[in-house]
Amino acid sequence: MTQIWPIGGGKGGSGKSFLTSSLGRLLAAFDKKTLLVDLDLGSANLHTMLDVPYPEKCFSDYVQKRVSRLEDIVLETPVPNLYIISGARDSLDIANLPYEQKVRTLKAIAKLDYDWIFLDLGAGTSFNILDFFLISQNSIFITTPEPTSIENVYRLVRAVYFRRIRQYFNVTEFKALEEKVVAQYGEGSFNKPDSIMRVIKTSHPKKGTLLENDFNSFKFKLVLNQLRKQNNIALGPQICKIMEKHLGFHVEFAGNVAFDDRVHDAICQRVSFLERYPYTRTAYDLRELSKNIAQSGNQQMLLRYS
Amino acid sequence: MKKDFAKLNYYEMLDVSPDAAFFEIRHAYNAALQVYAHDSIVSYSLFSLEERKKILDLLEKAYLTLINAQERKKYDNELAQAGVALHGGKKAPAQVPKSIYDIKRWTGPAVSPKKTNKIILRESVEESEKIRGILSKPEISGSDLKEIRNELGVPLEKITQETRVLLDYLVCIEENKINRLPAEAFLKGFVKAYLKSLCLEPADEICARYVRWLESAGKTGQAEEK
Repeated sequence: MTQIWPIGGGKGGSGKSFLTSSLGRLLAAFDKKTLLVDLDLGSANLHTMLDVPYPEKCFSDYVQKRVSRLEDIVLETPVPNLYIISGARDSLDIANLPYEQKVRTLKAIAKLDYDWIFLDLGAGTSFNILDFFLISQNSIFITTPEPTSIENVYRLVRAVYFRRIRQYFNVTEFKALEEKVVAQYGEGSFNKPDSIMRVIKTSHPKKGTLLENDFNSFKFKLVLNQLRKQNNIALGPQICKIMEKHLGFHVEFAGNVAFDDRVHDAICQRVSFLERYPYTRTAYDLRELSKNIAQSGNQQMLLRYS
Repeated sequence: MKKDFAKLNYYEMLDVSPDAAFFEIRHAYNAALQVYAHDSIVSYSLFSLEERKKILDLLEKAYLTLINAQERKKYDNELAQAGVALHGGKKAPAQVPKSIYDIKRWTGPAVSPKKTNKIILRESVEESEKIRGILSKPEISGSDLKEIRNELGVPLEKITQETRVLLDYLVCIEENKINRLPAEAFLKGFVKAYLKSLCLEPADEICARYVRWLESAGKTGQAEEK
């Protein structure tokens, strides 16, 4: 059974690509066929982390239909069992992926035959990113212990839920819903998924229960990256708790990853941090995290695209 | 999806159980202040200014009610009248303090002293035939040492921690990487420390046999290179 894990975090520079490549290496070492897909459209650099400096094929080839099957643009990496779909030579307008191309990609990814698929998503909360999140019930959100990063992760989680709600309605229905919510809860409440949900439950009970089932099946995980010594280690659990209490979203805390200057060194030298510095706190944290991810397998969500 | 924060009861607001002691309530209040304070990064951007003020006011009210025994009783009665079931969990049986000076306290059978790790290691060295076989060789190589260690099931990291010898050196010793070993004076010390941490006796003698192996291996190794 293929497991798809989108990895994102709202803010740039929080370690999404580093985490993706590290998890890929660790899970590939478990003898599992692992695929990393660089969906950081327009600023892809997963290939650099994996030391595939000159990939011959890339995601653009698939989008522009030079290659018909997604399987054909999969590249091998120097790591056994680890494969990559690179974005190194994507065309310069790839960031604005058209809707039909996106749906085609999502369907193709869901059909790939690998044990693990990690999607390295970009920063921000554009439709493309949110839809790639919703390909699976599993997701990893990554943040650093800085207000900017935490702010963006709250926004991203809310945006993912909002997008899921949006997928159940057509344009006119959604417009009507917005008016209803604003009328009931006041200006600005349409940005809050919980007030929308309350309105849906009374006005569209059927869709309300479907959405509730979806939300209950989400297995979101939070990773707190770049935790320095002086930071509060309870920060991650506190974030999860506050999301549960005030937003009603269940996000499981998956673990801290310690900050280490040598991560920078390893990336500059284009070597694997885990191999170069295996006895560091950071490497230990990553290994624990990979165990956590490996144990929480889950079936993937069926795509709903009309 | 969620209950409005204002509609939670005071216990839920502070995340304490209904039979929490006063110090637990105080701790919970401090923890909540950490999360909801104006400069807290946990709740940063999640609330508007008014929302945050409202939450902090509610928390303060909850704290001041629950920390006061009379007020708390009144509040509990109010909740009970409203039909909220408190005391969901069973109370743990009250523990009676025991005098630590009561020498007759232990009435069970006599307890033998606990085996320390070192004693266990020494015993397994004596018991294992494989280890005895290796130790009876006239020359002992690094890979022999590794075999012994694997037989005892001691991870290399543990030896590093115990002996304070760099892991790289231990790996070189075990992997027979002769040209990457430290100078002989250091090497002897390292090997002895290694042997002692595995409780292999007599360390000096075994170390001498390792050095003998090293000399002969070094000669043949050099000959091959040439």
